Amino acid sequence: MSVVARTLIALMLVAPQAVAQDARLSERLDKPTLIAVSAIVDSARVAKLPTAPLVDKALEGAAKGSDGQKIVVAVRQLSVQMGSAKRVLGSSATPDEIKAAATALAAGVSLRDLARLRSASGKRPLTMPLAVLTDLIVRDVPVGTATGLVVQLARSGVKDPELALFQRNVRADIDRGADPSVAATTRARGLVLRSTGSGTKPSE
Amino acid sequence: MEAGSSDAVVVARVLRGDVEAFRGLVERYRDRYARYAFHMLGNREDAEEALQDAFVRAYRSLARCEDPERFGAWLFRILVNRCRTLGARRGRRARTFVVDEVALLGAAEEHPAGATAWREEIDRALQQLRGDQREAFLLKYVEEMGYDEMSQLTGVGVSALKMRVMRACERLRELLSEVYDA
Amino acid sequence: MRDETEEDIEQIARELRVPVAVGRSLDARIMNAVRNLPRHTGFGLWSRLITPRTVTVTPLVWGIMAAAVAAFAVLGAMHAGQDLHRAAKPIASALFPAPKAADRSQRVQFVLVAPDAKKVAVVGDFNGWDASHVGYQAQHRGGGVWSVTAPVPLGHHRYSFVVDDSVWVADPTAPRVTDYDYGMPNSAIVVQEQK
Repeated sequence: MSVVARTLIALMLVAPQAVAQDARLSERLDKPTLIAVSAIVDSARVAKLPTAPLVDKALEGAAKGSDGQKIVVAVRQLSVQMGSAKRVLGSSATPDEIKAAATALAAGVSLRDLARLRSASGKRPLTMPLAVLTDLIVRDVPVGTATGLVVQLARSGVKDPELALFQRNVRADIDRGADPSVAATTRARGLVLRSTGSGTKPSE
Repeated sequence: MEAGSSDAVVVARVLRGDVEAFRGLVERYRDRYARYAFHMLGNREDAEEALQDAFVRAYRSLARCEDPERFGAWLFRILVNRCRTLGARRGRRARTFVVDEVALLGAAEEHPAGATAWREEIDRALQQLRGDQREAFLLKYVEEMGYDEMSQLTGVGVSALKMRVMRACERLRELLSEVYDA
Repeated sequence: MRDETEEDIEQIARELRVPVAVGRSLDARIMNAVRNLPRHTGFGLWSRLITPRTVTVTPLVWGIMAAAVAAFAVLGAMHAGQDLHRAAKPIASALFPAPKAADRSQRVQFVLVAPDAKKVAVVGDFNGWDASHVGYQAQHRGGGVWSVTAPVPLGHHRYSFVVDDSVWVADPTAPRVTDYDYGMPNSAIVVQEQK
């Protein structure tokens, strides 16, 4: 059977099921967009990538009034980024880690840095470190600085609640007019000193 | 670029692979946005760096431009972010405001001597504002944006923006009255 | 008084609105930088995108989320203790057809200060980005403070506030995520199980 014939048959078989998989998509996307998004979702499922983030991305685009082409590009891009993230993080990565890693990649983190963070964290989940890293970058801490700091924190065994507090403190410093890079570096230093027991002056 | 072609048309050409068409967008927005970058960063070198960065980033992410018809607004958003980053970096340098910059950059218009001095004082006062207050003030009063628009652009809530603008106005009055009382 | 106040600021603004010119060499520098970047490949992308690449349909497989530590970010300080306590018993989410792993939820308080708002809703990965979702309509608590406490499945979510059905506002207290895709701000939340 030719590739075209197989694709056509597959399209006929797949499209209705893909449409059926999430009624919200068929309610909110036009037909060509729905077919395109469903195809990306199906590919992701075969690649054992989480599919919910892709559906959410499409729904987000529809809610924001984006046109179909933009939605498909965004969903496709997220799918590609999740694929890259999964290759780096390994098959044991959770859907949340993959999603958070894809978000970090979109913010400018490199695959190499993602691998560094993975190895620095050992077996601990990466979702929170990645969310904090992404936030630092979005708040204009240079990517290299932000990655270095979060890797250092991970290596020091800093726990998720402490990371969450770190993020809030840095954000508050920046909101008060601090240089993002200096705020992040200073707060991270305090956290590392505290968690390694070599410092005696917790600042909170 | 044909004078009449809309941003969307030019963006479409660039997306089809016509790199040179991008120059049209540079020419269209370069001066319009130089004002913001210059006031935000306070000197020509940083303003040009921010503009260059913003254009290059815009080119790189052009396929992700939500509404090519409003390329300018999208570019401006990128520029505002670049200015924040560069402003933060600049904050680390011990920096003195070079008054000559004003003369260099304001060359488009001739000012009488008195007007130039007044303008220099305004620029100097502006640079003494906190970055977030300067940003809010410039968006509100110089770029003449509404608070909702500013909120969308910066991701900062309307009430916080109003507060920043209010504080900026207070501080500017304070700084400029010092000049005239002196 | 007000007019006078506005007038002095307006005078400053008028000065600052004077156009600023930059060196013409900037154009060349930008164009050189741009020429060194990969060329855009055109609208062929669209037709490629709408062609399905994979044809096999396998059952939906959901990874089990790692249980971890504290709830994060937008848990309002005042209500956090209370909410976390209540959240010790996971609440089955009947509000949306969520996959199994996400059935476990925490109640999360979202707070936005928006004195001029007439309506505030929370939208995100956890409610299908539906601004009309009844479970995520914030109530005005007075003094411009809007809040809603709603179940959010364990995991990483992106979300935003929608004010007056039109203005998208990121949560000022939460971590951010990039917003290049659709050009409007988003926040992130990592909801984790209580130990």
